[in-house]
Amino acid sequence: MYIYDTFDHTVTRERVAEFSQQVKRRLAGELSEDQFRPLRLMNGLYLQLHAYMLRVAIPYGTLSSVQVHKLADIARKYDRDYGHFTTRQNIQYNWIKLDQVPDLLAELASVEMHANQTSGNCIRNVTADQFAGVAGDEVEDPRIVSEIIRQWSTFHPEFSFLPRKFKIAVTGAPKDRAAIQFHDIGIQIVRNSAGEVGYAVYVGGGMGRTPVVAPLIRAFLPKAEILSYLEAILRVYNRYGRRDNIYKARIKILVRDLGPAEFTRQVEAEWPEIRPSGVNLPAAEEARIEAFFAPPAYEKIAEPVASFVEAKAKDRAFARWVSTNVHPHKIPGYGAVTISLKPIGGIPGDASSAQMHAIADLADTFSLSEVRVTHVQNLVLPNVKQSELFAVWQRLGEIGFADANIGLVTDIIACPGLDYCALANARSIPVAQQLSKRFADLDRQHNIGPLQIKISGCINACGHHHAGHIGILGVDKAGQEFYQITLGGAGDETASIGQLIGPGFAGEDIVGAVDKVVATYIAIRSSTSETFIDAYRRVGAAPFKESLYGRR
Amino acid sequence: MAVVDRNGPLKDAWTRIGEDAPAPKGASVIVSLARLKNEHNSLFSAAGAVGVEVASDVDLADLEPFLARLGVIVVRMATMRDGRVFSTGRLLRERYGYAADLRAVGDFIPDQVLFLLRCGFTSFEVGEKFPVESLKQSVAAYSVWYQKATDRAKSVVELRGENSSRGAPKGSSS
Amino acid sequence: MAQAKLESKILTANRLRDGETVYYTAAGAWSPYVTEARVASTPDDIDGLSKSGAAAYAANIVVDVNVIAVVPGRDAKPAHIREVIRASGPTVRADLNKPVVRPQR
Repeated sequence: MYIYDTFDHTVTRERVAEFSQQVKRRLAGELSEDQFRPLRLMNGLYLQLHAYMLRVAIPYGTLSSVQVHKLADIARKYDRDYGHFTTRQNIQYNWIKLDQVPDLLAELASVEMHANQTSGNCIRNVTADQFAGVAGDEVEDPRIVSEIIRQWSTFHPEFSFLPRKFKIAVTGAPKDRAAIQFHDIGIQIVRNSAGEVGYAVYVGGGMGRTPVVAPLIRAFLPKAEILSYLEAILRVYNRYGRRDNIYKARIKILVRDLGPAEFTRQVEAEWPEIRPSGVNLPAAEEARIEAFFAPPAYEKIAEPVASFVEAKAKDRAFARWVSTNVHPHKIPGYGAVTISLKPIGGIPGDASSAQMHAIADLADTFSLSEVRVTHVQNLVLPNVKQSELFAVWQRLGEIGFADANIGLVTDIIACPGLDYCALANARSIPVAQQLSKRFADLDRQHNIGPLQIKISGCINACGHHHAGHIGILGVDKAGQEFYQITLGGAGDETASIGQLIGPGFAGEDIVGAVDKVVATYIAIRSSTSETFIDAYRRVGAAPFKESLYGRR
Repeated sequence: MAVVDRNGPLKDAWTRIGEDAPAPKGASVIVSLARLKNEHNSLFSAAGAVGVEVASDVDLADLEPFLARLGVIVVRMATMRDGRVFSTGRLLRERYGYAADLRAVGDFIPDQVLFLLRCGFTSFEVGEKFPVESLKQSVAAYSVWYQKATDRAKSVVELRGENSSRGAPKGSSS
Repeated sequence: MAQAKLESKILTANRLRDGETVYYTAAGAWSPYVTEARVASTPDDIDGLSKSGAAAYAANIVVDVNVIAVVPGRDAKPAHIREVIRASGPTVRADLNKPVVRPQR
């Protein structure tokens, strides 16, 4: 993991002091709410329905056990004993008091954490593949360039007041687990024909009311050039992105209006002007950052691991959990465990302070003290020895997080929705809970196979409904909560936007409607190995429409 | 209206003149871009010094012919969210080599002045309510920056380079 | 002017210091309990609520100030689900719900 040096500590400490002053000026009335709002948002502080909400940055989803313990302590001390892990790999606290935020930030800073740029019209926390550094299919660890981007984007002198928010995601592997094509900039680490490592750059993706799959604007960017190229993209956007209408202010609209070719031409014209400015990192600094992500000291373990094979043979429930929740590790004898924060009937992404402490302890005992956050609102223990998977599974059972449902129908993404969020039109969490209960039977879940349901409580799409195999969007229809269904979205390397299937459903009917969609898939799939998304792409929307709305 | 720089209030000799008002002989006048383009010959010969006020999205090619002779460029932020001003400042300084006073006017707050300074602005026209007293504190908020910018403050990257060439420890220090 | 159907209204906001959802009372104070909200039913009364809200906002006591509709009747019961949730807490965490009536000591 990256470890702060004296400069990182200084920046973080000075930020705490600056924001503490801003809070003080606000409470003293020296700053009006209009003036304070952009300042507090740049610090991830929102005003929601019941209280302030603080979004704490978890850069590229990587946490140490010490940090997880601290997040748990903060939940207990400053909140109501729980936190919510988000689709941007961050954590949110829902019951924060403004006058306590300075103390909270100082505690975060003590474990090299912050809430910088987790909201506001600036470059947001960079997200990345949760299996960074442990996935066998990756070209290079995406955390290296993510940390480089984190530092470059922190309080950027030129790009801190953009037309709108700006999100960057990185994948180091061809299998996209970071939904990069739904980001303002998506970076894929690739190797060119000469065997050199560099970046494929996608620009102008996004969700919200205008979902767009980002076009590729550069197939290969040499590694050393990433910051000058990002600066060129941001400068074109900062100067020419629309500022007259917040719904048209994201870079995706600029790319669409100019056309990807013209946008690319402008970036490529700006880039050579920026390259000599010294923004690109010197090799020594890149090497310094890279060194922090060197592989930990793994043991040499021969596979198969007899005790692991035996445990799977003896315990069917454990074997099933392994099949869904343990990802292959690049080192023989290890596995990466996804901890499901989706217990049946639970609130997706929520964890109590006790659960967080228990997970931090598990990380210390079994996973080289590391934890990751996934954009699907789960946690990962990235470095577990196969011989210890059984013990991890049992302890996860004790805290209610051992569901064998990763990637299945109950592994649902849901935004906080109208239960918490000031922007929401409808509740998301109760829909997720009811769906989870409806599909609780594990045999049935495993029979249905990979299926992603994603729920947003408003058009801003924090619940990624556009990228759900089954997407659910909550709307307000004359004061009633209604839910629209989209089908066929995907957030991986085959990115696609779900299509609205028909009129929405009332809250009491949405679960039945989803059940019908699933039943239709079961009826039409060519074999049990044809997944929902494959079947949908083969047959299209027609049979699903018919089962939901009848023949027209 | 007052004009300040990073240290506090400034004595300001510049006067804005309207589209039709004659430029007083020998005075320091700020005119619109349109007037500058139309009357630059007479303005530069009559007035003591000439400045121009432009919008944050000004086409820099329009300004380029006059840059060497202008005494101030006033860039107007439409609102405090108008971040174009930061790119405009950097480009004027770093790409077009503009060297005289670069002034921001508009709805910015003290917390943004630090960013404006980093992007090449040197003076700030502020309203009555602007808390000039808190400016000093705001601009001193950070002692180090991750990025290089127009103000040539050493970036964290450069400082790290100096540290390591001096053999200082690289890891965590606190 | 279009003829609007007159509904009963209350004034709500969030307290600046801690963000808690609060309601403007007949005594001119801010209460966390929606049932203590002052219900306005005449145009003048509703206008008065708006003015009180604007004044409290300007005085940096509260933020996100809104006049909201309540169900007709003596109790101030918000008409819209959003406001019902604001008044009593998230529907998915009964353990964290706030009473709408001040608890008796």
